[in-house]
Order: sequence, then C-alpha cells, then structure tokens
Amino acid sequence: MDHFERQLTQLMHQDRQPASFEARHREALRAGVRARRRVRTARRTAGSVLVVAGLGLGLLLWPHGHTVDRPSAPQPMSSPGPTPSSSPTGSPTESPSAPPYTPSGPSSTPTDTATPDGTSATSVPPATTGGPATATHAPPPATSTARDDSSTTPPATASVSAPAEPSSEVSAGD
Amino acid sequence: MEQTRAGEYDAFVAARWSVLFHLARLLTGGDRHRAEDLLQESLVKLWFVWPKVADEAPEAYVRKVLARAAARSARRRWWGERPVEQLPEVAAAGDMSATVAERSRLEAALAQLTPQQRAAVVLRYYQDLPDRQVAETLGCPVGTARSHAARGVARLRRLLADVIEPVG
Repeated sequence: MDHFERQLTQLMHQDRQPASFEARHREALRAGVRARRRVRTARRTAGSVLVVAGLGLGLLLWPHGHTVDRPSAPQPMSSPGPTPSSSPTGSPTESPSAPPYTPSGPSSTPTDTATPDGTSATSVPPATTGGPATATHAPPPATSTARDDSSTTPPATASVSAPAEPSSEVSAGD
Repeated sequence: MEQTRAGEYDAFVAARWSVLFHLARLLTGGDRHRAEDLLQESLVKLWFVWPKVADEAPEAYVRKVLARAAARSARRRWWGERPVEQLPEVAAAGDMSATVAERSRLEAALAQLTPQQRAAVVLRYYQDLPDRQVAETLGCPVGTARSHAARGVARLRRLLADVIEPVG
C-alpha cells in the first residue's frame, strides 16, 4: 500500500458525518417491509396456484382407465395359431388365458369354431371327444381310448394314472 | 417472538445506521438520496433473513447487499449518474470546511468510477477487506475484484492528484 492508498484510506474514514436513525427512517423501513411482504405473499400465492393448476392439468391428461386395455390387445395377435393347438393339451390350466385369445381369434382362425366364445372354450375339449375331429384336437391318444368307453371325464384320470404306460397301451390297442 | 425479533432488529439498525449510511454514501459516489434508498432496500432484505443472520454477522450481510446493489446499479440505470468534465472546485487550504470539501471531492471522484470499480475500491480501502473477501462480497472472481480495485485506484490517483500530494 503506497502513500496515495494510505491517504485514500484515511480520507474515506475521516470525518464521517453523523447520521442518526430518525423516525422517518423507521417509518420508511416499516413501509418497505410491509410492501415486500405483500409482494412475497402474492408471489407465493401465484406460485401455489400455478403448481396446483399444473398438477390438475397433468392428472386430467394422464392416460388411465379404458385406454390402457386397448393397447394390450394387439399382443395376442402375434400368436393366434399356437393357441388353439395348445389349448387341447391342457384345457383346465389354460382356460384363464383362453378368453383373451378368443376376441382376436374369430377373425384370424375361422376354422377353430369350437371356441367362438371365451366361456365355451373350456367346455369344448370334452365335447369334441366324441366327434371325429377329436383325433386331431386331442394330441394325447388317451382320448381315443376313452372314445369307446363313452366317458367324458375319465380321460383326465386315465392320463393321470398312467402318464407313460397308457401311451404304449393306446398304441398297442390300435 | 415477533416483538423480540423487531426489538433486536431495531436496536441493530439504530446502532449501525450511521456507519452503514456512510458506506452507502461512498458506494453511491456521494448521492445522499440514493444512499438512503440503497440502505433502506438492504435493511428491508435484512429483516426477512434476520432470524438466520442475527446471531452471525448481520452487518456483513448488509454490506454484501449494499455492495452488490451498488455494483449492479449501472445495469439498472435508475439513478442517473452523469460524468462531468470538471470536478467541483477545490476548497482553499486552511479553510474550516476543508475536510468537508475533501470529502465532497472524494465523493465526486468516486462518482467518476464505474459502479464495480467504486464498490471494489470502497470495500478494499474503506472496509479494509482483503481481495478475496472483496471478491466474495461482490460475487465475482478474485482477479476481477483486484482488477476493478486497481483500475479504480489508478483513476482516483489522477482525479485526486491535487488533493493527495505525492510523497517526495
């Protein structure tokens, strides 16, 4: 710090005019505080209103409800063929998955008329046992043995009792 | 709670008003009305942060608000600083009002500086702050603050050459 800078420092410090904090200063300060408080309150209120409006608009435009089910329908379209062939094998287990397939099924697989409705899909396999088409629809040959027995329900029991051997029996019987 | 807060705040303002007003006056280049407005603004801001800074350094907070507002004033252009060709006349030596005249001369010279230079010079030479603290107060890099102060002092050296005699 050179001489000029020291003099400058001294000049800035010396002879500071006494300035008292008067009543008018106090009033002006109070008025300033009130005005600023009003501005802050108004700004905060406007911000809250904007946030609420934005959230409401967002919730209003949020996709939900019926529109969600429609996009999920095209997924079964990719595999309409395998479903009819797989349904006969495990009709009791696949019955829950059959209803979603049936809406798309009628247009794509007109030959599988055995399952036009979602509800009748479960009852179709037993009904087809007596028909000639059962030979194709019922992969397990056990159904063919049950044809002569005229018992619709036994096929399940027969297949369960002898999973490996009945196949040989059927082949031996035919 | 509010009464206590208001009481402490009023006590602080009443005690430090004179010092802060002088600082504001230097920062504004001697404009008394502008200095009052600047100090009012800063103290209003202090009121809203008083619970946070009351126990720490309320004066440092006011100083920072004052300096930044004064340095910003060039961009806001709301107090109409006008540079003049000739500085106000110098008081005769030995006059009783020589000190006051020097002050007005000093303020007139400060008014010739840019707001950033003036703030840096005042913080550096009136508040005796180191460069790092000047930069922190002004919210700029240390090099920038040092540059503002150096350029401001260089200009003051020319403006106040006849007031502050060089040694030797």
